Amino acid sequence: MKNILLILGVMFLFSCGDQEAPKEKIGQSKLLVTSVNYPLHYFAEQIGGDLIRIEYPIPADVDPAYWVPDENALEVYQSADIILANGADYTKWMNNVSLPSSRIVNTSKEFKKSYIELKDVATHSHGPEGKHEHAGYAFTTWLDFELAAGQALTIKEILIDKLPDNKTLIEANYKLLKKDIEALHESMIRVGKEFDGLNILGSHPVYQYLAAAYGLKIYSVHFEPGEMPSGDQWKEYDHLIDHYPSSIMLWEGEPLPEVSETLKEKGIQVVVFNPCGNQPESGDFISTMKTNILNLSGRVQ
Amino acid sequence: MKQSFYLAIKYLQFHRIRTLVLVASIGLILYLPNGLQRLISESEIQMMARADATPLIVGAKGNSTDLVINTLYFEQQEIEPVSLKTVDLLNQTGFGYSIPILSAFKAREYPIVGTNLDYFDFRNLNIEEGRTLRYVGECVIGSRVARRLNLKPGDSLISSPENFFDLAGVYPLRMEVVGILRTSNTPDDLAVFTDLKTNWVIMGLGHGHDDLQKVYDPTLVLKRDSSNVTASAKLYIYNEISGKYLGSFHFHGNIEDYPITSVLFIPDDKKSATILRGRFESGAMEDQIVVPGLVVENLLQSIFRIKQIFNTVFILVGVATLLILGLIVILTLRLRKEELYTMFTIGSSRYKITEIIGFELIITLVLSLVVATILYGITGYFVEDFIRQFII
Amino acid sequence: MIRLSNIKFRYPKSDFKLQIDELSFKKGTKTAVIGPSGFGKTTMLNLLAGILLPDQGSVNIKDVQINDLSDKQRRDFRIQNIGFVFQDFRLIPYLNILDNILLPFRINKVLKIESNSKQLAKNVAEELGIADKIKKYPSELSHGERQRVAICRALLNQPSIILADEPTGNLDPENKRKIMDILFAYVRNYNSILITVTHDHEMLKGFEETINFAEFQKH
Repeated sequence: MKNILLILGVMFLFSCGDQEAPKEKIGQSKLLVTSVNYPLHYFAEQIGGDLIRIEYPIPADVDPAYWVPDENALEVYQSADIILANGADYTKWMNNVSLPSSRIVNTSKEFKKSYIELKDVATHSHGPEGKHEHAGYAFTTWLDFELAAGQALTIKEILIDKLPDNKTLIEANYKLLKKDIEALHESMIRVGKEFDGLNILGSHPVYQYLAAAYGLKIYSVHFEPGEMPSGDQWKEYDHLIDHYPSSIMLWEGEPLPEVSETLKEKGIQVVVFNPCGNQPESGDFISTMKTNILNLSGRVQ
Repeated sequence: MKQSFYLAIKYLQFHRIRTLVLVASIGLILYLPNGLQRLISESEIQMMARADATPLIVGAKGNSTDLVINTLYFEQQEIEPVSLKTVDLLNQTGFGYSIPILSAFKAREYPIVGTNLDYFDFRNLNIEEGRTLRYVGECVIGSRVARRLNLKPGDSLISSPENFFDLAGVYPLRMEVVGILRTSNTPDDLAVFTDLKTNWVIMGLGHGHDDLQKVYDPTLVLKRDSSNVTASAKLYIYNEISGKYLGSFHFHGNIEDYPITSVLFIPDDKKSATILRGRFESGAMEDQIVVPGLVVENLLQSIFRIKQIFNTVFILVGVATLLILGLIVILTLRLRKEELYTMFTIGSSRYKITEIIGFELIITLVLSLVVATILYGITGYFVEDFIRQFII
Repeated sequence: MIRLSNIKFRYPKSDFKLQIDELSFKKGTKTAVIGPSGFGKTTMLNLLAGILLPDQGSVNIKDVQINDLSDKQRRDFRIQNIGFVFQDFRLIPYLNILDNILLPFRINKVLKIESNSKQLAKNVAEELGIADKIKKYPSELSHGERQRVAICRALLNQPSIILADEPTGNLDPENKRKIMDILFAYVRNYNSILITVTHDHEMLKGFEETINFAEFQKH
């Protein structure tokens, strides 16, 4: 009898110490969501809100499409419950790393048929295989705002699947986001009509989905915002403008002043249209796209 | 009785070699059927445990036993591959999730198992030393591989070119050992795990090289035009993937067409499993789907029949051995006639003499039982390891 | 003290017959029994020991009719009163010397191993000059030593009768004398009866009486 009481006493003592643990446990057990670029991160943030833990391991100064995660970043992806992938060959680094595939969600899987295959890309070959390309598909799918909404929808569905008890809240969050994206889509349609078949230059080939969705004719070179194009690159530009005369050039970010000056001399208006693959310095996805649309609007004279 | 026991012990002690031989023979005869039974039972348990822990396996149509053995025990039976597309198709059913397996290559006689990180979660495999896989070209090895090859994180392992795909262009790959798994007492302890893509690199389906657009060494470039650059054979196709080349590594063609040897499918529930199996049976899906537990059970039924034969043989051998032993005892008594008559002459009764001989036989039998019991105990202690080492 | 009267004995399925009308042995006497093989000398010893029962007649030892006793009684009587010494020593090969000496105590309940039994055996062994050999085995001893062990075994319980069947048959002359000296000394010291079957005529002078079985036995 004495021993039973002693054991019960010990058990009671142990159980007393657990008051704090449940709170901590709940915090730790939230679904960890991570993504391969900023737009998906933004969508997940908006739709999941406080229901999820969200981590964004991509450094600010890189293009996520060409970034290769270091060990710390890879650890985040490996430990995530959901890895939001873009699809359309966006995340090339996924080919070189090990991930739990069951947790990777291809947010554009529902509209694979809408992927834009890249043509006129320089190829290379070696060995007995002959010609082959490295490019594959264009990947800035979110610049087609209908596709962006589709990606957001996929994110919503996966979150509901994982958190069925919070379906109502998730749906509500998604509706708000969808409304914002649809507004972008409507605005861009209007801007697209403004251009009505006019050529637009692109500083970099990242505007394919924008062009396809909104009827824009965008022809791109390979300029970088922080760099002065080389002689060969200017030659490429000259070659392009000869074939596709234009007065507007879309840039991912502000070019160097001397580049802007040179372009101005050539009669080119620089229009910043930030694809927002990574987190903007200020604002968010929606505000950045609004700014982009505003920048482009009214340029046709 | 005490004195008879004493005299019996003295006799056995003096003829210790004869006693040992008798004890060993009888002990073995008593042990073998039981030991074999234990071995077989434990094999059954372990094989079934591994099979039952795997809900479904999907693979190319063909020998289902080979498919199961390749997937569960990494015995690289020759099986037709399926494509990675199968994984997508299975995942699209919404009935669960898939884990691809590619087991066709070896590294120093240990199977290289290409898969993804889901496998480790599914099998509850944890890292004992080092870390899990991060990059293509790395490997994580089972605890027994580490012990036998004396490997630790930071060491490397090179893949062997032989494979049952009979590929010509297989590239031996130097893989960095990044982690050692905790002992799981399963075939996973004897495997070398890599990312699926690492196996494809071994098959020559992926590689890295300098970006040819930027290569200016004329000896590396055979021909260049506006749309294509052809490299010479001098261009180095790496047989080692490291951080330096990681960015340039890539695969050609459609990855969905790349081969795997099988898929583990983990259904959400029994109903999902049943529906999925129904789809395969109706021909709605190509390939075959098997329930590993059923396949292994069938296999074990065959083993069970062999066990019956063994038991019969053991009984016959046992009877023969006991007859021979009986003959030896009788002949020994004849040789001891004078000794026994001396005791009788001095004043011993026939009963006493029988008692002494009786004790000799009983002690021999008891010692044999002890030997049999010890052997059975040793079997029990080592049987799991033994089976994992030599059978599974 | 020992008397055989009107003994008639025949082995089953054999032509051999042993017939002794009257034969007696007194306490403190040493008798040699000589004669060719097959005349029944050993048979007589076995009748005296109660190992064999006569078809007719009586064997009387210390006023006990041996042939009237049961098997067990005869065994018990034999082990308490008679010591055996054989030509081929008949030691148990797997027992050491000490255990060989103590053998009678282990094979019949009537003799018990007491706390001083081992010491007694060692003392007897010392008297016969083989105390340093008690841990050895018979195969490690010479013939003379083995026979002394047999004698220790026979004499340990201080029997009143010693039956020796060619005790010196396998010994060299020196050992023969030593063995016979031991037996004669025992008879002297313990006033016991020694009946020795022997072919060794050189040993006869030590005996008070010699029975020639060839003459004695009437076929």
